[in-house]
Formats: sequence, C-alpha cells, structure tokens
Amino acid sequence: MIGALLAIAVTAAPLSGSWRAVLDLAGGELRFTLNVTAGTDAYAGRICNGRVCTALSGIRIRGDSVALEMADYAATIIGIRRGDSLVGVYHNVGNRGPRTIPFRAARGRWPVQRATAALTGSWDATYVTDGRSSARVFMFANDATGFTGAVVSNTGDYGHFWGRAAADSFALGHFDGSFIYLLTGRLDGDTLRGVFHAGLRTETPFTAVRTTGRPHLRNPTDMTAADTSTPFRFSFRDLSGQLVSNSDARFRGKVVLLDIFGTWCPTCHEAAPVLVDLYRRYHGRGLEVVGLAYEVTGDTAVDAPLVRRFRDGLGVPYPLLLAGTSDVQAAAATLPQLHGFTAFPTSVFLGRDGRVRLVYAGSLGPATGVKHGQQVAQFRAEIERLLAEPAP
Amino acid sequence: MRLTLGAVLALAAAPCAAQAPANLTTERSAFADWLAHAPVSPRAAVGVMLVGPQRAPIDGGTTAGQRVVERGSVVWLEGDGPSRALPRDRPVRVGSRMALVSGPPGRTRLWLFGSPAPAPPPDYYPYDPALVFSGPLMPAAAPATERVLTAEGEEVDATDAGRVMMGLGGTTSLRVLRIPDPAGEESSLEIYFRDGTTGAGSYPAGRFVALEPLADGRYRLDFNRARNPFCAYNANYPCPAPWRGNTIAAPVRAGERYASHR
Repeated sequence: MIGALLAIAVTAAPLSGSWRAVLDLAGGELRFTLNVTAGTDAYAGRICNGRVCTALSGIRIRGDSVALEMADYAATIIGIRRGDSLVGVYHNVGNRGPRTIPFRAARGRWPVQRATAALTGSWDATYVTDGRSSARVFMFANDATGFTGAVVSNTGDYGHFWGRAAADSFALGHFDGSFIYLLTGRLDGDTLRGVFHAGLRTETPFTAVRTTGRPHLRNPTDMTAADTSTPFRFSFRDLSGQLVSNSDARFRGKVVLLDIFGTWCPTCHEAAPVLVDLYRRYHGRGLEVVGLAYEVTGDTAVDAPLVRRFRDGLGVPYPLLLAGTSDVQAAAATLPQLHGFTAFPTSVFLGRDGRVRLVYAGSLGPATGVKHGQQVAQFRAEIERLLAEPAP
Repeated sequence: MRLTLGAVLALAAAPCAAQAPANLTTERSAFADWLAHAPVSPRAAVGVMLVGPQRAPIDGGTTAGQRVVERGSVVWLEGDGPSRALPRDRPVRVGSRMALVSGPPGRTRLWLFGSPAPAPPPDYYPYDPALVFSGPLMPAAAPATERVLTAEGEEVDATDAGRVMMGLGGTTSLRVLRIPDPAGEESSLEIYFRDGTTGAGSYPAGRFVALEPLADGRYRLDFNRARNPFCAYNANYPCPAPWRGNTIAAPVRAGERYASHR
C-alpha cells in the first residue's frame, strides 16, 4: 500500500521547473537549460542557452514518456521520466534520414561558471578543415548566467552561446531546436586551440589569437555588389495576393530598406526587431521597409502561413512579400541586379531615386554585443544620410 | 612504409558490452520508421530525372503538363501558371508528388516520391563489440578533392580526409572521405568498404560506415553502424562504385545485412 502511494506520488510529481539538460555529441556534451512551466491545461517549455531562450511548440506527456516538440524544425526530444531525471533522444528528420542525438536531463540549475579575463574578449579565429582555412571571430564575455559568447562569420553570427569555463579551458554551446553547435577549447600561451562541433559528429579544429584590430572578416558591405545604373526592381505578391512593386506610388521619392529574409533563418528572427525599430523611428520622415521572404517550399499555401506567423509574432508593421525559395541561387535569380548574394538576411538600402546605395550581407545579432550596436548605428546613420538627400 | 608506421597507431578494439548500446537501437528504430513512412524515403522514390538547360516533361504520372529546366544554376518548374523556382535539397510538393532537387548545378537531378513501398525493416547482424575500434585519423598529406557518389546516391565533391588503420584480418587501412552537407556546417567522415561478407550476406556493392569523433581527439569506427547505400532499397538510386583499396579481407559480420529477395 505504501509502495503504491509512493509510485503515485512520483508519477504525479510536476514536470514544471528547471532542468539541467545535455545533448551528448560524439565529441563532448552540449549543456542547456530546459525550463518548464505549468499552464491551466498543459505544460509550456523553453530551451535556454543562458539568458536567451527559445519556446517549445508543445509538451506531450503519455505515461512516463515526455515529448518536447519543436515544430518549426520538425524536431522532437523524447525522454523517459524517472523521478527527477529524463533520458532519451533528440530527433529530427532530414532528406537523408533521421538524426538522433542522445539527450539527458536532471532537475535543477546549472552552476554559474564564469571565465577569467584571460578568456573573455574578442578573438580572431581560423578554422581548418582538410587543409582549407576560414575566418571567424569569437566574442566571449561573462554575464549573470555564466560564460557566454558569439561566433561571427562573414555572413553573420551563429546566435547566443552559453556554457562554462574552468581555469584556461571552456565549453560554449548553442542549441535552439535545430542548430546544434558546441565550441570547446583551451588557452595555450597566447593562443586558443580547440574544436567547433556541429551536429552529432562534425568537428572543425581552430586556433585563435587576440583580435588585433586588423580586418579578419570581410566587411559585410563588400560582399554583395549591385547594379546602381537604374532603380532597383522588385515585384512580388504580399500576403493578401496583391502585387507590390518598386514602381508603386508608395515608394516614390522614399528611402527604402529591403530585408531579404526567411522565416526558417534564426538570424533573420534576431534581425527583425532592429528593422521594426528603424521603421517606427523613420517612417514618418520617409522610410519604407519591405521584407522579401524566401521560404522553403515556394508554395504559397505552405509559405504564407509561416510568414504571417513571423509577422504577427514579431509585430512587423511593414509589408512582407512572398519572393521565392530559400535556395541562395534561386533567390539571387529573382533579384538579378544583385551580384554575389550569399546571406540571409541581406539588407538593401535604396536612395530616394530608387537606386541601391548600400548592401549589407548578414546580420550581427544581440549575442555579438558591441558589434550588434555598431551595426544598428551604421543602419541608422545610412538611413539618416539617405533621408537627407533631396527627392529626385 | 607509411602503412607500417601507421600500424603502430592502429585503431584499438574497444572493450564494450555485448549488448547493442541503447542509442544504436534507437537509431536503428528511427531509421526503420523513416524508411517506412517518410515522404522522401528511398522506398518512396518512383523516379529520377536529370535536369538541364532543355525543358523536360516531368514523368511520374500525376504531374502532367509540368516541365523542369535549369537556367543558370536555378531549377524552374513550368506549367499552367507562372514559373516557380525549386529549392535544392528541400522536398516540395509538385502536383500529387513530393519532389526533391539534388546535386550541384550542372549535375542536377529531380527525384519524385510516392508512398513508401511496403518492405521488411532493415536487418542487422548481431551486435559485435569486437568490431568497435578507436584510434587516430591519419590526415592526408595533401588533401585532394574527389567526385563520388554518397550512400544516398548523390554526386558530391568529397575531400580526402586521411586513413584509419585497425587490426582486422591482419592490418587493414581504410580511406576516409569527408562528405560535405550542402545545407549547412555539418559534414561526415565516411568509409565505403567491401569485406568478406560483401555479396554473401551484406550488400553486393559494399557498405558505408561513418567515423565518430571522440572527446580526446581520436575517432571511433563502429562496424555495427555499417549501413547499405540507398540503392539497396530502391533501384532508382545509383550505386556508388567501390572506393579503391577499401577492401577488408576478413568478413565483417556487423551492421546492416542484405538478402537479395528483399
């Protein structure tokens, strides 16, 4: 009888609370926090990398099985609950088969582990794969949740990283339901040496030295060129099926900021609040912002609801147009006046004469701290400059 | 001489429990489920066509009147309405079929999928802990790029990542290629091999197995994870030609099996 009561008590213990969660990658453990709250008729959950969290689309409980759903990425974590532990797998589905990664969690909070000044700050990193190298910048800092970081490439950052440091070594992870990144390394004299892990079993060794101030990454404004001999042409349908074109009266004599984005792109989600702020700040003075959505399928019936959810979730007040599919080459083909289009998002600034004045490839999200602030300042300065020009 | 030195660094058999690890069981179960139900499962492929600069009608029965053409590096679907660009490596609906554009520009293929054909789930040899090795990957001195077919029948430019060596029927050295993922940062270190079971219990064209990195910088080679190329499930998929030299004289009775009646 006592045993039965205990079993009921254990089974009925609420899921709500904080869980120390781990994805066991082949090369190391990626830690994150799972926060669960109880609603009136269901649980809600968030995956957190330090202070930055992503909401789960749902939590299903059936007996001792718990399913944490991430519908945007066709991904699920399924775990078996035994008291205060959850053990199972992360699972998502690709074109070449399913991807499964071992998952475990225990009730509680991760300890806050900050880094010393020997690790924090900016580092110019070089990835080396099979004799080929590519540039990144690491930006490391401490906050209330512990050691945090950003990894920046030529086309933007990989989102917010969080983790731990002990003496001269560190591990920083980023898991948002789809992207699975782990950066591990240690200080060797003046050089950081380590590995960037992507997914279950991709590993890229790196070395990094303190940022010197010399350019290490390409300038985002130098990556994509544009034909400036004529006004920039675009013509796509909005979410209500109306054709919106650069020649419409609403854009005549206006400064226009085109946001080339996709709802599937986490960096685009991070960039949108900046654009919304710019729109609210400058629309009254003559700025128009237009989002050109490049979605996964190119099928309006599938893509339009995703773009609507993006618009409503982020409170986007400017028009979003269904421009095409997310393949870089396919997207570039719809905007033939751009040359060397490589990144989602890309911001295209048009002067009052409709011609391209600046193309900014990628976006530096809030995880990059001061660089994010510099990008916002650059965008404002460019808009101010263009608004000050006389209308043709 | 390199091989002899390499033998000193041979992959060591890992002391493992005789029962298949839980994560391997889970992976196999997920794969069997994916094969049986996924819209782009190889068992659902009903046809494949090359896409080039000449407009070509889509075969497959239920997409009448639609054609595809590659212009520049973009694949366009043409039909009654406006042309539509098809993304690469992302399944989309075309008529009543699912379609998938794969391969690099100039060597583009369009796959069409129906419902997965019913078939038994994949069959595996009993788990053998003696066929799990760990050790270093000896990098290639001058990594070259080579065009190969992947297990999924896709043409890719892979990079020579090096060799691993193990004591298996004498010292065996296997070539490892890094297979890029066109969709992102991930890649995989793959070995395509033939062994004493090839055509006599395992798939006649050979099998693939991926190296798994370990936290200490070494790699694990677990032949229990050896898997058949997609051509084993559906004749629409091209079978990769064996990689030169990757032959193990001994039978590797681990990983996926093959019965010709399947």
